[in-house]
Amino acid sequence: MSQIFTVTNLNERIKARLENDPRLHDLWAQGEVSNFVHHRSGHMYFTLKDQDSQISCVLFKGQAGGVETEVRNGMNVLLFGDVAVYRPQGRVQLVARAIKRDSGLGFRFMQFEALKKRLEEEGLFDQEQKRPLPPYPERIGIVTSLHGAALRDVLRTIGSYPARIIISPAKVQGEGAEESIVSALFALQGRTDLIIICRGGGSAEDLWCFNSEVVARAVYSCDSPVISAVGHETDVTITDFAADVRAATPTAAAKIAVPDVADLRIKLQQIQVRIARALWTDLERKEERMEYLQRSLSPARMYSLTADLRQRLDHLSDRLDSAMARELKERRSRLDGIRGRLAAVSPQATLQRGYALVRSQRGGLVMAWEDVRPGEELVLVLGRGGLRCRVMECIEEREGWE
Amino acid sequence: MSREEVGLEEALEELERIVSELEGGKMSLERSLELYERGMRLVRLCNLRLDSAQRRIECLTGEVPSDLL
Repeated sequence: MSQIFTVTNLNERIKARLENDPRLHDLWAQGEVSNFVHHRSGHMYFTLKDQDSQISCVLFKGQAGGVETEVRNGMNVLLFGDVAVYRPQGRVQLVARAIKRDSGLGFRFMQFEALKKRLEEEGLFDQEQKRPLPPYPERIGIVTSLHGAALRDVLRTIGSYPARIIISPAKVQGEGAEESIVSALFALQGRTDLIIICRGGGSAEDLWCFNSEVVARAVYSCDSPVISAVGHETDVTITDFAADVRAATPTAAAKIAVPDVADLRIKLQQIQVRIARALWTDLERKEERMEYLQRSLSPARMYSLTADLRQRLDHLSDRLDSAMARELKERRSRLDGIRGRLAAVSPQATLQRGYALVRSQRGGLVMAWEDVRPGEELVLVLGRGGLRCRVMECIEEREGWE
Repeated sequence: MSREEVGLEEALEELERIVSELEGGKMSLERSLELYERGMRLVRLCNLRLDSAQRRIECLTGEVPSDLL
């Protein structure tokens, strides 16, 4: 089913479609300026063209800061901006934000920006990916030309810092430089704690190999952290972005890589002092403790300790004495009670009730009739006094006696 | 690495530990003296390494240019 658009709808649809495409934003275009008009409103209107095609361009007044050069007809320029649709005229145009003169390096510059954007999006430059540098590297790898000033600057700056230095030579400009740098980096795998990749200043073409994708990826995938120092302070390369740390110059890279030996000596001296002082303080503390313990054990202290003990002993023995006296008294009264009860059941009480004990002359008690013979003398013990008697007859039967 | 040679990073880390343990001061006399001796020995070994300023430069592709040694 076909839809009928109004012209406005159609242009709106085209506009929405083109302006929502991220690939038509933040782009660089290269071409020749023609039909240039600097309107009195401050906006610039012109056409960008090459041999076969052309596109309308506008640069609004507010973006005039992005114009590096005076724009004239016939000039080759690089233009940075976004594709937009001017709806009233249904015109596709390039809304520029920056214009620079294309000095022939233009294409390379665009390549640089494109690669940078791509690798950035891929996460190769993420700050979280940056590895910390070892504070005291033992093995430092250097990737650079064996004959350049950069290597000499680095070695001079490392000075007497006691690390093993492994030079992995590379061609750092011209044909084959990229491959050479990549192999030099790979040759250092597993051999270093830290890598410095560097070269001295040069023309943009000279430094170009450090803007290569393979070099950036090789730097990124090194097994130890990489410090990159390419060219002078103002030169920034893709390699610098991919490295863990960017240094402005080779000398600066070496300064970042190793601690200053003189500082290190001072640090060691301070540690030595702290250790000695700490031991001394510890010994003093122990001595104080000993003195304290010694004081605690002095004769006076011991004497007062024993006096205390003696006093406690006296007190205890007093308490013991009175306890024993109380106990004795108690026992005595209990004994009296028992004696009274015993008296109640003694033969004396029985005798006083009218009974008598019969003792033979041999001293034994007479219990039965056959214990004695007629004519024998017996003693009767009574309640009061006694009777000496002689047996008249021994009778077995008790009838009539009771 | 010979027995008398010590990694600066490891040595300095151990020294930091020794200093803080000693400054904490909660150990026996034997331990204090042991730490003290170990610390002094490490300091000496580090200084020895810094003193042996002999450059150890190698080149993966061959001879090191004579002006670099």
